[in-house]
Amino acid sequence: MKQLLIGLIRAWRFAISPLYGQVCRYHPSCSAYALEAVTEHGAVRGTWLATRRLTRCHPWAAGGYDPVPTRAGSADQSPSTSTATRGA
Amino acid sequence: MLDFFSTIGGAIMAPLYYVISAVLVGFHKLFGSLFGEASGVAWVLSIIGLTLVIRMALIPLFVKQIKSSRNMQLIQPKVRELQKKYGHDRERLAQETMKLYKDSGTNPFASCLPILLQMPIFLALFRLIDQAAKDPSHERGLMTEELNTQFGDAVFLGAKISDTFLNTDDIGVRVLAAVLVLAMTATTFLTQRQLMSKNMPADALSGPYAQQQKMLLYVLPVVFAVGGIAFPVGVLFYWTTSNLWTMGQQFYVIRNNPAPGTPAADAKEERDRAKAARKGLKTPAQLEEERLAAEAEERRAEKSQTRQQPQRQTKAQRNKKKR
Repeated sequence: MKQLLIGLIRAWRFAISPLYGQVCRYHPSCSAYALEAVTEHGAVRGTWLATRRLTRCHPWAAGGYDPVPTRAGSADQSPSTSTATRGA
Repeated sequence: MLDFFSTIGGAIMAPLYYVISAVLVGFHKLFGSLFGEASGVAWVLSIIGLTLVIRMALIPLFVKQIKSSRNMQLIQPKVRELQKKYGHDRERLAQETMKLYKDSGTNPFASCLPILLQMPIFLALFRLIDQAAKDPSHERGLMTEELNTQFGDAVFLGAKISDTFLNTDDIGVRVLAAVLVLAMTATTFLTQRQLMSKNMPADALSGPYAQQQKMLLYVLPVVFAVGGIAFPVGVLFYWTTSNLWTMGQQFYVIRNNPAPGTPAADAKEERDRAKAARKGLKTPAQLEEERLAAEAEERRAEKSQTRQQPQRQTKAQRNKKKR
């Protein structure tokens, strides 16, 4: 499952991302974030993190530097509190 | 697992079928009465109308984006500073630049939302046209069996618009699909090139970014060709129209909100000056220049008023002056 997701994200980054250039208001971009999140946190948590990030990426968000939380950091503190205050 | 996904997918798509088919059928009422209900022209124009409606609905997002990139001029010196400081480290440079955008509330990028919104719409249109041809008795959204049959059998310029390059031997479909693929490649390529040649500072055009752009030249036709042979001609019309709209939108941005320090910004400055000169007014940039000049003049005047300290002179010099 994880490998499948990684493959899909890689295909997206190869084929679809170049079509519209850089649009993401964050660094790393949403697809780079998704790739890293799934690689680091596995299919379920990675997908969850990536989905949250996508909902944060809209024209009313300030954008900015928004890295994938590290495994150690996210284990003891709730991720929803750390991401809710950021971006949107 | 797959069932689970198809249930979620169905729940998302069901309302979309209604929205898309409502717009499509609405346009078809208009164009159908003009060109004949079963005609390909009516259906193709309906698809183009649908595209325009969707892109118009996304204009608020676009306006918001323009507003949030309005102060790029003001933070430009800071961006330069960062480029000087972290120019060797692209990762760090990207991080710091994004931080700066966030802190100043100015972000030149459109966000991922417009693309995310358009994906399911694209998919819904694909399903509507594909299923209309394969299974006209299944009524999705506002499509009746009669409309499904018309939609699935509509022929435009000798090509059945529900056919794909792959599932037909008809030369007309293949030619039309190929032409549309070429059109999509050309519009996207032009959009990107316009962005690079006019709206990018010269220093951004070298290095890894330029490399990536060159890659794009090879990736683009491949992606459009793959999409172009797998999707029905009707969907390709949607895609091409959407690309054309993007190109026009970007032309507007480059003309009216160019990135500072680029050829497009210089061109706009020149136009503004010419316009201001015709009206006998002054542009903000000119006013700023004049203000700076006036300040410098004032400082010079102030300086000349302060008393000059007598300079040490030799007796010979003093005598020379007296005479």
